[in-house]
Amino acid sequence: MSYTGCFHCNEAIPADSDFSLLIEQQPRQFCCPGCLAVAETIIDQGLGDYYKFRTAPASKAQLVPDQLQLSNFDSAEVLADLTQHKENQTQIELSVTGISCAACAWLIEKQLQKNPAIHNVSVNSSTARCVVSWDVQQLKLSELLSLISKLGYQASPFIADQEEAAQQAELRRFLKRLAVSGFMSMQVMMLAFGLYFGDYTGIEPEFEGYLRWISLFLTTPVVFYSAKPFTLSAWRAIKGRELNMDVPVTLAVFYTFLASAYATVFDTGEVYFESVCMFVFLLQLGKFFEFRARTQARAATGNLLKIMPVSARLVQGDAVVPVSARRLEAGQVILVQPGETIAADGVVLSGQSSVDESMLTGEYKAVNKAQGDTVMAGSINHDGVLTVTVHQALAHSRLGQIIELQQQTLNQKPQIVEKTTQLARFFIQRLLIIALGTFLLWYFWLDKDRAFWVTLSVLVATCPCALTLATPTAITCALARLNRKGILIKNQQVLEIVPQLSSVFLDKTGSLTQGRFSIQRTQLYDQSYTPATLLALIARMEAYSEHPIARAFDSYLDSGIKLEQVRVHVGSGLSAVWVREHGSTAEVKVGSAAFCGAEAQTSAAVCCSINQQLVFCVELSDALRPEVPTLIQRLKQRGLRLSMLTGDSSAQVEDVQQQLQFDQVFKGCSPEQKVQHIRQDVAKGNKVLMLGDGINDSPCFHAAHVSVALDSGTDLSKNQADVVLLHNDLNLLQELIEGAALAQRIVKQNLWWAVGYNLVIIPLAVMGFVSPYIAVIGMSFSSILVVSNSLRLLKA
Amino acid sequence: MSIIYVLIPIAILFVCIGLGIFFWAVRSRQFDDLNKEGMSILFEDEKKTGKPGTDPDQQPPQ
Repeated sequence: MSYTGCFHCNEAIPADSDFSLLIEQQPRQFCCPGCLAVAETIIDQGLGDYYKFRTAPASKAQLVPDQLQLSNFDSAEVLADLTQHKENQTQIELSVTGISCAACAWLIEKQLQKNPAIHNVSVNSSTARCVVSWDVQQLKLSELLSLISKLGYQASPFIADQEEAAQQAELRRFLKRLAVSGFMSMQVMMLAFGLYFGDYTGIEPEFEGYLRWISLFLTTPVVFYSAKPFTLSAWRAIKGRELNMDVPVTLAVFYTFLASAYATVFDTGEVYFESVCMFVFLLQLGKFFEFRARTQARAATGNLLKIMPVSARLVQGDAVVPVSARRLEAGQVILVQPGETIAADGVVLSGQSSVDESMLTGEYKAVNKAQGDTVMAGSINHDGVLTVTVHQALAHSRLGQIIELQQQTLNQKPQIVEKTTQLARFFIQRLLIIALGTFLLWYFWLDKDRAFWVTLSVLVATCPCALTLATPTAITCALARLNRKGILIKNQQVLEIVPQLSSVFLDKTGSLTQGRFSIQRTQLYDQSYTPATLLALIARMEAYSEHPIARAFDSYLDSGIKLEQVRVHVGSGLSAVWVREHGSTAEVKVGSAAFCGAEAQTSAAVCCSINQQLVFCVELSDALRPEVPTLIQRLKQRGLRLSMLTGDSSAQVEDVQQQLQFDQVFKGCSPEQKVQHIRQDVAKGNKVLMLGDGINDSPCFHAAHVSVALDSGTDLSKNQADVVLLHNDLNLLQELIEGAALAQRIVKQNLWWAVGYNLVIIPLAVMGFVSPYIAVIGMSFSSILVVSNSLRLLKA
Repeated sequence: MSIIYVLIPIAILFVCIGLGIFFWAVRSRQFDDLNKEGMSILFEDEKKTGKPGTDPDQQPPQ
């Protein structure tokens, strides 16, 4: 068998491990006990079909779901915050991580449906959400969550924001309108063919009238139901004394429809019902695809509430009770376990630990906290147990403030008037004047009877179909193209602004750098060991630690090393007894310089001593992403002014500046200062792009014209950004700029064609040379040309 | 040709039925996740026991 990865997650299997299971009489190998346990559950439940039909490997399973953390969800208070009650059922929405394909959705649904307490379960594989309604008397929420975690997925309660729910409802309405205009177009087009042939071979007036009446009947819902969004938007624009693209669309739809209805009722002239239907259908289709792309982008990144701590452990006398984090009040004392998110701003009462505040401050090193230090809500506790006196409720915490700051900046997004809107305004004014002029000209001076029909042919021939399709089709195709490359665009204005950019702000920690430690230099003090052995030894020890530094050694892990009596010393390091191959033992310490009895070298160093003798030092740093230097070079070549914005104030900022040579560097910035710097640049007339990843960057996202978040960033930043880069590759920024430039080129070509065509056809139509049939053909042809030109964007 | 007086209304009736079914499908959220519904036909409702190894070549996709 050529295939050697883990049967469950497809990751490499460690050389000396042996986790195997007989599945359908075939021995299958697994990489870890976690995957083995998950696969065993899946097979025992008779859900083996999952492995047959899945299209992507599962994510690596974690062996021990955090039961303690889960049990916090069972308190009635927390439950009430998270769920909705319907009769005697409770409904909850869960956000599930690890869903990689449709088979995962099936697996979770099947597993949950087996439980009698669960009434209904529906998993959406594209948004990774799951809605469950169940009887809370029979099954606790924590039990429900652990049912899912037994399958290797992590589920956490989730509350969709209102905007998202509204968008989902809108998407459904879109589908219905699209269906109506689509179905009706088919019918009306069929009848129109009868009428076309009737014109050539002759048709009895009786049948002609009948077909027209049927067409009128079928077109009515299209005009009054499917085209409603256009009508409403046009109405709003006119009420606000403005002209937008929907005004000529509505005008064309209604004028054509009413003229055809008039022709039907009074049995004169021509009917254009099929043009009305097709026009509405095509426009709806474009808008639908664009809207769907944006809604999906939103839903996929909308897990804002996941970073807001949901529950906390309240200390009441000797007891610790789980409570809802939102109901914490100043003065209460909470207990924070290793790995948990701190639920409120406060002061450490007892305990010692290191805390990761990088999401809030941009500082990439974990901060040591002891009695009397302040901690912030939303930061993650790493290795020790802390008791914290709450100073402020969650809503007033630093995290709450940042989220509020971001809400405030939301309405202050610099606006750019869309060029097409301007063009439309210009064009519509002229068109209306010309149409009116034509009518008057024919009515008073030329031929009274033809006046109405000539005016109609002017309106149909110039019908701004091509003009209105020019931008949306190109943008939809460009969105699809960039999406395929892993760039998710949530705000379509982005494509119009990006080619005009003049200034780019970049966050350092986590954006330019990897946001985690990697080994920079090593120093060996005792030649009887090799660096490779010692790195493997350190990695083996650090595997016991929750500290972020420990992750730097993951790639050196070698499970052949035997350790005994491993102990974690909070805030300083680890100690253990190393049992070597020939049986001798040695006492090993890994940790800070002081812990290993050495002089401090750098702030982020890990030392290793064996039998109280310092043997090895490792210097760690947050390394730049490998693609950054070339990217910066390319951006400079485009003539963009580059600035680095960072909350970090350490010497590393200078190192990065030395390497990359930014035009401006702002260090040690609070989120408010970051917003300030960007606003100043916007005020100077620059078009600004901001790239960031942390919670502390998200307020800036609204201050800049375009904001870009990385997939490795926080959910909050992804939720707020205009653009999310789905692969952790900054070169996508370059792709984005190129893609937007290409889209703009196509839009320009489309507009030139549409305007050029109109300039030719209008004089002819005014003079009455264009019979309405030719007008329809001309209009359809130019629309098709515009759409096919846009489709070129999908290639390559 | 007067048959079209009967046939066209029948055709319209079918269109209305089709639209009704589509609206029902949208309302019951069948269009929310097209991937899952597309896959659902592949899975058996209940795993039949007693015929193991029917597909010995089965391997997880890479």
